Amino acid sequence: MFDLVAQSILSGIGVGAIYGLIGIGFCVIYNASGIVNFAQGAFVMLGGMLTHAGMTKLGLPLPLAAIGAIAIVALSGVALERIVVRPLWNRGSTMFVMILATLAAQIVVERLTLIAAGDQPRTLPVFTDLPPLRVFGFAINFQFLWIVGCSAIVIAGLALFFSSTKTGKAMRACSINRDAAALQGIPVSRMLALAFALSAGLGAVAGILITPTQYTAFNVGVPFAISGFIAAIVGGFGRPLGAFMGGILLGVAQALAIVFLGAAFKNVAALSILLLFLFVRPTGLLGSAK
Amino acid sequence: MNLPTIISAKGRGNLAAWLLWGLAAAFVAYTFVAGGYLIAVLHFACIYTVFVTGLNIFMGFTGQVSFGHNAFAAIGGYTSAVLTATYGWDPLTAGVLGLAGALLCALIIGYPVLRLRGHYLAMATLAIGLIVYEVAVQWDSVTHGYMGISGIPPLGIGRFTVTSDRGILIFLMIVAGLALLSAAGIRRSRLGRAFVAAAGSEDAARALGIDVARYKLIAFMISAAYAAIAGSLFVHAVGFVSPEVFGLPMVVLSFTMLYVGGIGTVGGPALGAIIISVLPESFRTFKDYQDLAYGAALIVILIYAPRGLASLPELWAKWRRRAA
Amino acid sequence: MSLLRLDGITRRFGGLVALDNVSLEIPGQGLSAVIGPNGAGKTTLFNMISGFMPPSAGRVQFDGADITGQAPETIAKRGLIRTFQLVQLFEGLTVLENVKIGCHLHTRGGLMAALLPTRAARAEEAAVEAEARRLLEETGLAAQAETFAAVLPYGQKRLLEITRALAARPKLLLLDEPAAGLNRQETDALAALLRRIAATGTAILLIEHDMNLVMNVADEIAVLDFGRLIAKGKPDEVRRNPDVIAAYLGTEEAAHV
Repeated sequence: MFDLVAQSILSGIGVGAIYGLIGIGFCVIYNASGIVNFAQGAFVMLGGMLTHAGMTKLGLPLPLAAIGAIAIVALSGVALERIVVRPLWNRGSTMFVMILATLAAQIVVERLTLIAAGDQPRTLPVFTDLPPLRVFGFAINFQFLWIVGCSAIVIAGLALFFSSTKTGKAMRACSINRDAAALQGIPVSRMLALAFALSAGLGAVAGILITPTQYTAFNVGVPFAISGFIAAIVGGFGRPLGAFMGGILLGVAQALAIVFLGAAFKNVAALSILLLFLFVRPTGLLGSAK
Repeated sequence: MNLPTIISAKGRGNLAAWLLWGLAAAFVAYTFVAGGYLIAVLHFACIYTVFVTGLNIFMGFTGQVSFGHNAFAAIGGYTSAVLTATYGWDPLTAGVLGLAGALLCALIIGYPVLRLRGHYLAMATLAIGLIVYEVAVQWDSVTHGYMGISGIPPLGIGRFTVTSDRGILIFLMIVAGLALLSAAGIRRSRLGRAFVAAAGSEDAARALGIDVARYKLIAFMISAAYAAIAGSLFVHAVGFVSPEVFGLPMVVLSFTMLYVGGIGTVGGPALGAIIISVLPESFRTFKDYQDLAYGAALIVILIYAPRGLASLPELWAKWRRRAA
Repeated sequence: MSLLRLDGITRRFGGLVALDNVSLEIPGQGLSAVIGPNGAGKTTLFNMISGFMPPSAGRVQFDGADITGQAPETIAKRGLIRTFQLVQLFEGLTVLENVKIGCHLHTRGGLMAALLPTRAARAEEAAVEAEARRLLEETGLAAQAETFAAVLPYGQKRLLEITRALAARPKLLLLDEPAAGLNRQETDALAALLRRIAATGTAILLIEHDMNLVMNVADEIAVLDFGRLIAKGKPDEVRRNPDVIAAYLGTEEAAHV
């Protein structure tokens, strides 16, 4: 039993890192604009689906297909910002209208994917096809290492981007005070587009990393988005690092729920954690960023 | 309250609204006489009129947000389906029990949820819809999971059942009419005034002695009741239920109807439900294209005509200015 | 016997003391006023009284009951009705509907009355309609009854907020700077209206910046400065009080006092 629990915790950390990446995607857009993008799950789904399409339709090798997919998804993030968010933003729409519009965009992307690719679930080959490593009696498969490694690289890269590059600093300025940033000559609207591109790219990375261990289909987006949102809430909305930790916490909690309650309760457990946090501690474990 | 103000709370766009009401009435009359496939479309429109009217009481009147009212439709619908198809109950008794269940859930959920605001409120309500969906999928022994429940008997009381398409349409139109009448009654009553006061300014409402938290909960429960009734009507009219029936696309679809008809107006939900049900059907496309069209239409409406049909005259004026 | 009694009201925001041990009694009739320079803590005091913010220390008693820390709607139910410095109307509704909402407290109808308009329910609705129209007549807004509140000129918005508060049949009416943004003529009309309201037996407590209005209508004046009560008395006494003159010295209001 102990082995099973420990093994579940390990796999929970892997899935949790994915939730964390998606959660960071929420934070990036939220910090730049105050918008919670309910279409975040579409990026995750597109990442996996497009990589699969690149490999099977174009015969590309996995790395090339993945990079291509990330680029296309990032562009679709910009498209979402230009076509849906920007016009509403300019009109000063309410937060609720913005949520509704991004949720509608989620459905549109989902249904377009369904029409283009059908409803069959797809999967990707594991990145390194070797038997799992044995460490202290635990099996650690290579996809887990890929997930943890890539997440670490992505987070380090983001940290570097926000702390050391001019653009990254400008985006942070926008998150602190948009009007002041605009007065300083920072092109706020371009930062918004960039935030969507970045966030979409993050979602795509998460989708590509997780697909080999599960599957992807037109409708996997919303559950992933919810998990990412929970991660962001648990971490204190707007804190990227908090979101990542929140994701890992959620992943582990979910894995334990599967062990003790059965696989059917995976999503119910996650949603219950969400409600619990919303009711008891909506500012997250660390307190909200703003 | 006279009719035009019922149709358009803002007083503008009356002509366009009257025109559309006329067209809608003509369509209903034509369908009723001609019969055939379009009758099923009108069944759908009537059921959604009930659902969207409830949503409108909570969102339009009371100014709150819910992305999870499909949960209450699912509770009503599944209770009706299981009790009538599996246990052979009478549809009316089963429906009443579903309604009571939805009300109880709304009370238990509403109390903590309605203290939330903004994104948190939106996400919490969305989560409630998804939890009910998950339960419908996973509680296999009762709901039959993705397979769903078929063989649900038609509407009826005791030995009297309504089976003909026209008969069902008449029944559903009466129910939809009652839903609209009650919404109109609520809107012009003391209760409705407390709702719109909470939407207008919570501080001012409280300063006048209105217990805003309590009225939000009442509005939530009333709208949940409408949703549960719509859910029960749906499973009896179609004879089948599966988790997908009350999935997330239902939420987007009902918002599209609400926004097309005009959020906050009394008659808007009916107009929105008829237009949105009829338009895609006239292309006779597949289900996938429908949800796509609803989603895209909702985005376009939110961007260009956020007050629904009431914004038409404004758009028309703008277009004329540009043309001149 | 005083209607409202404040006992050592203190409010701290972090290290800042916005109200410092304020004790005050407001009688059950006539017009009382709280004045003071900007930032003296007047609106904070109103928020403590009306329940929108709990005091850090001290008690509020109204009509013989301790109302400290009670919810705004509970306090309103006891007959203490306030208006806001930034007018809070139901902008999307008509003037008449705004006033009808004010009648909430002394009417009963719930869901049953909404769905089944019985004779009693209809009678109550008719009474609400009649009372709202009568009040609009009294405050001079009758002609605007069917207008949307959002499109009223500013002065009439202020007037509508007072009318709506009257519909709640207050024992004590709290007015937060009712003359702010009004021109001379409108202020005079407001003064006349306030006197008429007070004459019907409704006690009024107002916070005001406009010295003309206060000196003109108030029976009793209390002066706040930096969160402390520095003087109270009849307008003439307050006007001559050296502490009050010092507090206002160098501010714009000094000229008026």
